[in-house]
Amino acid sequence: MKAAVGAASLIPRNALVWIILSQFALLLPHLGRLPVWVVLVYLSTAVWRLLAYQGRVSFPGRWARVGLIGAGFAAIFLSYGNLLGLEPTVALLLTAFALKLLELVKRKDAYVLIFLGYFICVTAFLFTQDILLVLYSLFTLLLVTTALVALHRPGEHRFRVDTLRLPALMLAQAFPLMLVLFFLFPRIGPLWTVPVKSHAARTGVSDFMKPGDISSLSQSDEVAFRAEFEGDIPPRSELYWRGLVFSVLDDGAWRSLRYHELPGAEMRQQATEPAGPELSYSVLMMPTQQNWLYSLRYARARQSGVIPTPDFRLFSPVEIEDQLRYRVSSWPQTPLETELSDWRRSTELVLPATGNPRSRELAAELHAASTSDAAFVDAVLAHFNRENFVYTLQPPLLSGPDPMDQFLFQSRRGFCEHYAYAFTLMMRAAGVPARVVAGYQGGEINPVNGTVIVHQFDAHAWSEVWLEGQGWVRVDPTGAVSPDRIELGLEQALAGEGSFLANSPLSPLRYRSVNWVNMLRLRYDALTYRWQSWVVGFNSEEQYSLLQDLFGSVRAQTFVIIVLASGALVLVPVAWLLLGRHRRRPLDPAQQLYLAFCARLVRRGLARERGEGPRAFCQRVAHADPALGRWARDFTEGFEQLAYTGSAAGGSARQQQLRNLRQQLQRMPGTS
Amino acid sequence: MATAPEVTGRATSAPRGRFGRWLERRIPPARSVTLDQRRIFIFPSLPGLFFFLLLLLILLTAINYQNNMAYAVAFLLATLFVIAILHTYANLAGLTLHAVAASAAFPGQQSEFTLRLERGRRAAHYGLRLAWPRGGDARVSLVDRDSVELRLFVPVGQRGWYHPGRLLLESSYPLGLLRCWTWVDLDLRALVYPQPLASPELPGASSDSPEGAAVAVSGSDDFYGFREYRRGDSLRQVHWKGLAKGQALQSKHYAAYTDRSAWLDWDAFPGLPLEQRLSHLCHWALLFERGDEDYGLRLPGTQIAPARGEAQLERVLTALALFGAGGQGT
Repeated sequence: MKAAVGAASLIPRNALVWIILSQFALLLPHLGRLPVWVVLVYLSTAVWRLLAYQGRVSFPGRWARVGLIGAGFAAIFLSYGNLLGLEPTVALLLTAFALKLLELVKRKDAYVLIFLGYFICVTAFLFTQDILLVLYSLFTLLLVTTALVALHRPGEHRFRVDTLRLPALMLAQAFPLMLVLFFLFPRIGPLWTVPVKSHAARTGVSDFMKPGDISSLSQSDEVAFRAEFEGDIPPRSELYWRGLVFSVLDDGAWRSLRYHELPGAEMRQQATEPAGPELSYSVLMMPTQQNWLYSLRYARARQSGVIPTPDFRLFSPVEIEDQLRYRVSSWPQTPLETELSDWRRSTELVLPATGNPRSRELAAELHAASTSDAAFVDAVLAHFNRENFVYTLQPPLLSGPDPMDQFLFQSRRGFCEHYAYAFTLMMRAAGVPARVVAGYQGGEINPVNGTVIVHQFDAHAWSEVWLEGQGWVRVDPTGAVSPDRIELGLEQALAGEGSFLANSPLSPLRYRSVNWVNMLRLRYDALTYRWQSWVVGFNSEEQYSLLQDLFGSVRAQTFVIIVLASGALVLVPVAWLLLGRHRRRPLDPAQQLYLAFCARLVRRGLARERGEGPRAFCQRVAHADPALGRWARDFTEGFEQLAYTGSAAGGSARQQQLRNLRQQLQRMPGTS
Repeated sequence: MATAPEVTGRATSAPRGRFGRWLERRIPPARSVTLDQRRIFIFPSLPGLFFFLLLLLILLTAINYQNNMAYAVAFLLATLFVIAILHTYANLAGLTLHAVAASAAFPGQQSEFTLRLERGRRAAHYGLRLAWPRGGDARVSLVDRDSVELRLFVPVGQRGWYHPGRLLLESSYPLGLLRCWTWVDLDLRALVYPQPLASPELPGASSDSPEGAAVAVSGSDDFYGFREYRRGDSLRQVHWKGLAKGQALQSKHYAAYTDRSAWLDWDAFPGLPLEQRLSHLCHWALLFERGDEDYGLRLPGTQIAPARGEAQLERVLTALALFGAGGQGT
């Protein structure tokens, strides 16, 4: 250290250790998003700082520090390619947090580090608000607060675990009031735009599908969304969660129509009268970094901020970066677009000029043999069913200009996207308007709370054909090949192949047959659902309805009264615990008598001095006033007997001694 | 002493003006002060203000990212701050400060003030700082013991009684976000001797004064007079007859005449100003103490019989320090 630092502003070793512990604890939730070298920075700064504490190395000089910070910036730029997104910003913060340890000399530096630690704890929530992370973060908050407390206990030069006790108590005391604030604090919209997650992978179904895309998505056991039905859950074979409609076939891949490709008249959804029974449900979607929402057929959102599209999907104008909960009503039996516009008809019929000649030929053949479009659809499905087609998660790679010819006539092994692709191609080739729909099919019903859990491996692609008088009709060619996929789900459909979640041997979903593992998983999922929808998804609407339920009306006064009342409810007990004048232990009767003895002597001008023992005082009294000497000596002897040996004596003997002592006190000689 | 003499160096305390007068009423001077809500002040410290900025930053993050868990952290830390008010207060509450002693000093030197800090109901009080506005400070934690004695050094002012003013006792434990403090007047004062000033010679210092110097030597034969009974006097010396007559307890005092003694005499410096005379007398007293001669002091209204030793020096210097102050040395 160059500057002389007052002993008082030095950092106790206990605090230093707690600071370093909390640094590593704060780093942990970010590990998956960080380049490995950041961890090395944490390790080396911790070692450096501890060696500096022991005096074996010196702190880095100013230029060394500037160099380290510059190197950190450069390394982050190299690792992420920019410095602007949320991930590089957090990485910068974490690197600065580690390097600041090398500057930790005075108490002021410790404050900077600890406050930074509190903020870094918050940054973890920008990526996920999972219940486990929240519980863990409570622990890191405790560690950071412990470091703050240890900082104010001077002279503790050994690591002490019991430092945790006070901050734990304080956080526990703070918790109830935090809950009140959490539920009452008005939620307002964002004040300005902030760095977004630029490096988070877009998850879920993409708006671009080529053979192999969905099968790779099916390797993931992540949850795509959870749905909660207000009434009965429809049979799983009816659970077709529409997310995307692919109307364009380009370069061997299907994609959706771009907004600018739509003519003005086609930009709005056709007015449609709902028909049949209504299904009401809410969907809690995990972040996808995409815009589309999933819903059953003919869905109307029951909240603002969700837009219906002309192809009867739901769309969010902003990318879904955090979990989103939306309420929907669906009428699955509603005929869609019974009147097809010319533009729409021609769009849904377009095929590339060339390619897949044998498939087109087959389509023309089957169409010619059919009496109607509907019969043609059945003929194609029958073809899939009759011929030796295999539903597999490991289809051979299709290449070349005619992938569907290869699939239909050679490999005959494919996943849902292959069948949807081939089927739609054949429909269009025969002049029947058709398109590919992508989303999820099925889902797992959680018996604990009755939600439908839809995983990524439920991703699916099917077709819609337009039939005269019926509008768009859903046709799932996969069902013709593997009915189990629709009725029972992917795991059952692939039971013979053993490829379900083959790449995730530890996924609890693979052990659904083990009863207790499955129950544990479902309970945790139910807890997560509750957490995500009630706590993480708590917003101004929920707040309003909660307050209305609790207090009838929502007024400013109500807010103020609740905050003040709950504040008092929390603070008064804490204050009583901390400051209350708890009754002192009552004095022993012998001691009370001795105090009375002292008080009498004070009146004679003889005060016992602090720390003066009874015997010494007695001698002094005798010396100062011989008239009192004998009396004082007798009393003191009686008292000492009672005080030091008396408790061993029996109850009645002790009572007698006390009486004697009291009498002796009364015998005080009067003044001459 | 009931009232403070004119020459004292009072008014060195930090809180002045209206606040000082208010403090004087609120926390009157006392030898022992137990801290309670009447005597403790609390306010956010500088780190506490930065903590507010941190809370604001977290709240803005919560709003802009619409992140409920960030809200939760902001509220948890805000409530922690509120809870810390009580904990910070509790770290001072119940402490008792006792004035123990103040050592005498020469002007320009530091006087040692001894205090005792006694814990209250709480088992531990951490990070306490005590300081006099002009003097040094002491930091102490009361853990695993009931009380602690502290020595604080304060540079003293002019001859007479020096009042160090109000003592600051502060702490920001446990979180450092709030500072809790009090200003107590422990009614302590330190004696300040005159500034020693050399004079070329001590005029009139005589070793063969006509009346000689009577020096109290117990155990010698010649009865010298009565004096008030002091602790430690032999019982044989007690004036029992007087006691029987209802007089106060007195002991007989015997004295021997020494042959060599000197008088430090106020009148030996005619024409010099008061302070200068006292300074010269002080100088000589210190000088005689190092020699092997007894010395006494004559001041207008006071006379100290010749003797030698630390007690004599203290008597002489105290008389010099308080001369003209209307007070008596003890």
